[in-house]
Amino acid sequence: MLIATRDLTKSYDLGAVEVQALRGVSMEISEGEYLAIMGPSGSGKSTLMHILGCLDTPSSGSYVLDGSEVSGLQGRDLARVRNKKIGFVFQNFNLLPRIDLVSNVSLPLVYHGSMGKAERAQKASEQLERLGLGHRLRHKPNELSGGERQRAAIARALVNKPSILLADEPTGNLDQKTGREIMDILDGLHREGRTVVIVTHDANVADHAHRIVRFEDGAVAEDRGNGGPR
Amino acid sequence: MNLVESIGAGVRDMASHRGRAVITVVGIVLGVASVVTVLALMRGGEQQSLAFFDEMGGLREIRITNRRIDHLMMTAAEKASEQLTYRDAQAIQDECSSVGYVDPEIVRFQTVSYGDKTYQMKVLGTNREYPYADTMPLGEGRWLSDKDCENYANVIVMGPTYRDDLFGDQEAIGKTILVDGVPFVVVGIMAKKEFYFQGGGAGGDRNVLEWFNRSHYIPITTMIKRFTVSDRLGGLEIAAKTVDLVPTLMEETRTLLTRRHGVEDFNLEAKSEQMQQRSEQEGFFNIIFWAIAFVSLFVGGVVIANIMLASITERIREIGVRKAIGASDRDLFMQFLVEAVVVTAAGGVVGLVVGLGLVAVVSGVLGMPTSLSPGIMLSAFLCAVGVGLVFGLFPAMKAGRLNPVEALRYE
Repeated sequence: MLIATRDLTKSYDLGAVEVQALRGVSMEISEGEYLAIMGPSGSGKSTLMHILGCLDTPSSGSYVLDGSEVSGLQGRDLARVRNKKIGFVFQNFNLLPRIDLVSNVSLPLVYHGSMGKAERAQKASEQLERLGLGHRLRHKPNELSGGERQRAAIARALVNKPSILLADEPTGNLDQKTGREIMDILDGLHREGRTVVIVTHDANVADHAHRIVRFEDGAVAEDRGNGGPR
Repeated sequence: MNLVESIGAGVRDMASHRGRAVITVVGIVLGVASVVTVLALMRGGEQQSLAFFDEMGGLREIRITNRRIDHLMMTAAEKASEQLTYRDAQAIQDECSSVGYVDPEIVRFQTVSYGDKTYQMKVLGTNREYPYADTMPLGEGRWLSDKDCENYANVIVMGPTYRDDLFGDQEAIGKTILVDGVPFVVVGIMAKKEFYFQGGGAGGDRNVLEWFNRSHYIPITTMIKRFTVSDRLGGLEIAAKTVDLVPTLMEETRTLLTRRHGVEDFNLEAKSEQMQQRSEQEGFFNIIFWAIAFVSLFVGGVVIANIMLASITERIREIGVRKAIGASDRDLFMQFLVEAVVVTAAGGVVGLVVGLGLVAVVSGVLGMPTSLSPGIMLSAFLCAVGVGLVFGLFPAMKAGRLNPVEALRYE
């Protein structure tokens, strides 16, 4: 099992009131699964994604990622887990605007700290080429179209060979056609055997996944299989 | 991320925010420039003092003066003592192993006349060892010799100031002049001695050594025999063989003179102590200078902290992204601290250049003494780096501690 959570809760103390964002979430994700997390805003799906992505820690409960308990980790250890095991794809791409694509995609390798500069650039360029951006290596993000930016962001998410790809509304800022291109890429990554988790409220996007988990009010309301990519 | 990469990233970041970088470093540039200028002025002042003391006979000298007895009931020993005499000077020369030269001096204002011209002049009775004879080359003729002293010779070496008045175009050497009616043969004329304090408020273009040029010298033995009769001295200057031997000579002299006088009725003062007092006075001004430089640097630092805090707000998203892809708190802390140091170091370099220009203006236009050294430039540069470290600390800590979830959500 790649991911196993048990009774995850998360509450925020907003002074007078305490908000329960997650109320005991237990779920498992196997290696190679293609999963969509759905739910209205405020349902807790983003909070869960932040915890699964080790950006945030649960208030209670257990989270085992790739065989090790990560719910108690903090600071540097959590940063290492993010760096090695998680690949993030964001709705608004989140590329650094002032550096070119190779540098953007190299960043996870920089923080990984195991490679020299030339090797990092080499790895980043390969990853960009695989995503069809071989002709854009030295371009800056603002010189690219939305679809190209999202492909660069996917390249960055993949460059450290993470255990899991977490995509938060990956098509939310794209037109329909470009959105479909990005979904084709995610479908392809799944076929290569990668674990892909998409957080979305778009049913068409969610329909690409093999399993759909619906959140309501901080808990799993529905967890069902899906036909898979068309 | 290692340090070299951090510095590279810092340089790139600065290059991509040129406007911001310029505003940020203006304070540091001014601060470093003022530190360079202040240090150069301080060093220039010190060197000029040193040069002055060197002209005055160097730091090897000790001045011995009679201690005034100001109580009415003098002890028998005090009454018996003749105080400083020419014989004391000879005893020091013969018995103190660390002594370099002894310069006994009797000063009198005497009437000097040649032909129909008459002047009141300062005449010093001294010996061959008169210390300034070395640093003060003769213009014409020769200096007093040991033989002159042994033979009570009626010879005189004149300062240059009155030479032309007395003799005009004529040859001066060999002429006979009258000193208080006693004939003396002119054997030498001193060369002119000059020293000007640059930019000094009180008469900066005044030759502070003019009194040398107006002094005349005869053998001290002749002075005693012909004029004073008593061999009591107003004061006595002696010099150690080396600067290190000054304390030894002080002790030797104290012991010898106390034995000879039966009482310690004299004062010993090393020139280096005078020097010390002078630098203490200068120290006060140095503190003010330093305060000004420090305030400029501090203001520069506050500006940096301010702009960095603003730039962190502008870059919250970047911080969130970096954290999401695996940067630790420490990585971001280092990134922002290194950026601050890179900016201030660059400001330090520019400040050095501006400072060199300022120093050139201060010494060239205002005529104040300045002196630069690699040490000064290095310390000014390190001040800039230090400001970057200190004032970058708080913004860098803030950047490192940002919560990634909130940072990513920040619009």
